[in-house]
Amino acid sequence: MKKEDTVKLISREGFEFIIDKKAAMVSQTIRNMLTSPGSFAETEHGQVTFPEINTTILEKICQYFYWSLQYASGKETEFHIEPEITLELMMAANYLHT
Amino acid sequence: MGGACSRKRDQQVSEDSLHRGVSGRYSKSASSKWLGSSFSRGADAKQGKGKCPSLMELCIHRVCEDIDKYSTFSVLPRDISQQIFDELVCSQRLTDVSLEAFRDCALQDLNMGEYPGLDDNWMDVISSQGSSLLSLDLSGSDVTDPGLTNLKDCKNLQALNLNYCDQITDCGLENISGLTNLTSVSFRRNNTVTAQGMSVLSGLINLVKLDLERCPKIHGGMVHLKGLAKLESLNINCCNCITDSDMKPLADLTNLKGLQISSSKVTDYGVIFLKALEKLTLLNMEGCPVTAACLESLSGIVSTKLNCIEEIASVEYQLRPGNSNYYVFYKSYQCLQSLKVLNLGFNDITDAILVHLRGDLVFVYFFHLAGTFPASSVSTVGRLSYLESLNLDSCRIRDEGLIYLSGLHRLKSLELSDTEVGNNGIRHLSGLRNLESLNLSFTVVTDSGLKKLCGLSSLRSLNLDARQITDTGLAALTSLTGLTHLDLFGAKITDSGTSYLRYLNFITSNHLNSDYDFSGQLNLLIDFKNLRSLEICGGGLTDAGVKNIKDLTSLTLLNLSQNSHLTDKSLEVISGLTQLVSLNVSNSRVTNMGLQHLKQLKNLKSLTLESCKVTANDIRKLQSTELPNLVNYRPE
Repeated sequence: MKKEDTVKLISREGFEFIIDKKAAMVSQTIRNMLTSPGSFAETEHGQVTFPEINTTILEKICQYFYWSLQYASGKETEFHIEPEITLELMMAANYLHT
Repeated sequence: MGGACSRKRDQQVSEDSLHRGVSGRYSKSASSKWLGSSFSRGADAKQGKGKCPSLMELCIHRVCEDIDKYSTFSVLPRDISQQIFDELVCSQRLTDVSLEAFRDCALQDLNMGEYPGLDDNWMDVISSQGSSLLSLDLSGSDVTDPGLTNLKDCKNLQALNLNYCDQITDCGLENISGLTNLTSVSFRRNNTVTAQGMSVLSGLINLVKLDLERCPKIHGGMVHLKGLAKLESLNINCCNCITDSDMKPLADLTNLKGLQISSSKVTDYGVIFLKALEKLTLLNMEGCPVTAACLESLSGIVSTKLNCIEEIASVEYQLRPGNSNYYVFYKSYQCLQSLKVLNLGFNDITDAILVHLRGDLVFVYFFHLAGTFPASSVSTVGRLSYLESLNLDSCRIRDEGLIYLSGLHRLKSLELSDTEVGNNGIRHLSGLRNLESLNLSFTVVTDSGLKKLCGLSSLRSLNLDARQITDTGLAALTSLTGLTHLDLFGAKITDSGTSYLRYLNFITSNHLNSDYDFSGQLNLLIDFKNLRSLEICGGGLTDAGVKNIKDLTSLTLLNLSQNSHLTDKSLEVISGLTQLVSLNVSNSRVTNMGLQHLKQLKNLKSLTLESCKVTANDIRKLQSTELPNLVNYRPE
């Protein structure tokens, strides 16, 4: 995988998720960060830090990105959400416009 | 986090609950309190089919499923808890227990119109939203006067809907007297509120819209509205206590743009007081004892801002798509310059009015003259080349009158119900290529006349509810492939007639409404996979016939009453129609034993089995164990 095709998402605890740029762009917020004109650090290095999203939640979000791509390509499975993380996940989803 | 408000609030403010589609109150079956709204509720947020759900939607769906596990949402940003709330209301999962989780959530919109079970016990949490609350819809609830006490704290409330809250009296209304930010207040059909209760309105100086439709005791209360300088819309339709003297205080409301006084006792004398209302663009006087003389009073209403008025005209039309034919767009540039909507349906209007206004009517688009229109004036109508909608229901019009309509090429909707129009007349309609809706019910048109309609390719809705229409007539309609609504209620259609319906592949959403003499086979209906509503109440249907509807899985409303041969076997067939919201199999041989087949109909909200061998107790048992959504059943 070429480096420019991926992005690195970093959780509050510093855990790094390297995922396809295409997947990350499912989030409107991340899309804006990566494509906005001007030389933001995010655009240049292809990495975004989320000081307010913990690792568990960020992992779930990454799963959603890939699930969403699958869904769009016609594979309509169910996306499971654990009840105990739902509220926190919601706040992150709200922030990420996802 | 959560700083970005993803929710546009202004979309939430409802105009007569329009966001939920048809209100239960106005649905055909008046007894089905929640039925009308339930068709639109609850369909969202399911996974699968179409657009990929956002993570937010999935989370909200998840929360709603586990709603009992949450004790409070106050940690969430307001816009998120609002979305959860809306979804719970929409899916009817909200209860007085789950509502507790929304205490102090600073919600802005609590639109719970016609919500089942809503009573005073809910009001504490509702009022806890305090100064955040901007709009509150409690229509159709069991809230009483004490329930409104805490609303005093909701200082910023802008819209309050208490329609059909029949337990609220003058006393309860006192609680809203301090809510001076209110711009819209509505308490339709309140039998107890009097002129004294209306005195609280005098302090609501920001009021723009006031709706008191069907309040029978408010005579004398209009005097309290005198100071409401911002009031633009006042609806006192069907308040039969309203008389000429109630019009006098309205003269001060010079910002009034819409005034609805239909079915009141206002006469020509009362209309004189309305002279001063220069901004009036909508005046509904349907069923008032006024005569053409009242138009003289109104001819003084003049406005120079014609552009502005045109804009409002289109908005109003969109707001009331179902009612459009109740209004006459009255764009007369010389006489009634700013008045664009004037409803004179079922009034005692004679030729004189049309002669009087002939020159000014050129731009009229919508003409509602039902029951009032003298045949001798039909030539005047023929000159209204802009006309798109014409309602001549119950007018004294005959075949020779229709010749004048042949030039109305823009006509989209024509209502000729209950007229003396026959075959010779409707040939004059064959050139109206833009016609989308035609009502010929209770006319004397017969089968041979229907041939004249075969070129009306734009036709989507056709009403042929007349005894003399038979299979032969139906055969002439096979070229009308755009039809989505065909009403054959009283027509004599048999099995062989239904084969013609096969060609009408696009009868999708609405009615196929007939008392077919179905002795056995409904198999021709199989083509109508998208049919959502079906009523066959002709008495000739048997279990064997019902088998043929088992694939109509989109059906939400099914009425098979009056077919006395139907047995429990029919219910077994129906058990697969899981989308059903309303089912009626009254006057049949259905028994308690048959009820077990209905267990799978989880969406069922209304069940009617009158005059069957079924007891209320057994239905109640079924409701409590299997059908929690059932709110309306008979026998009860």
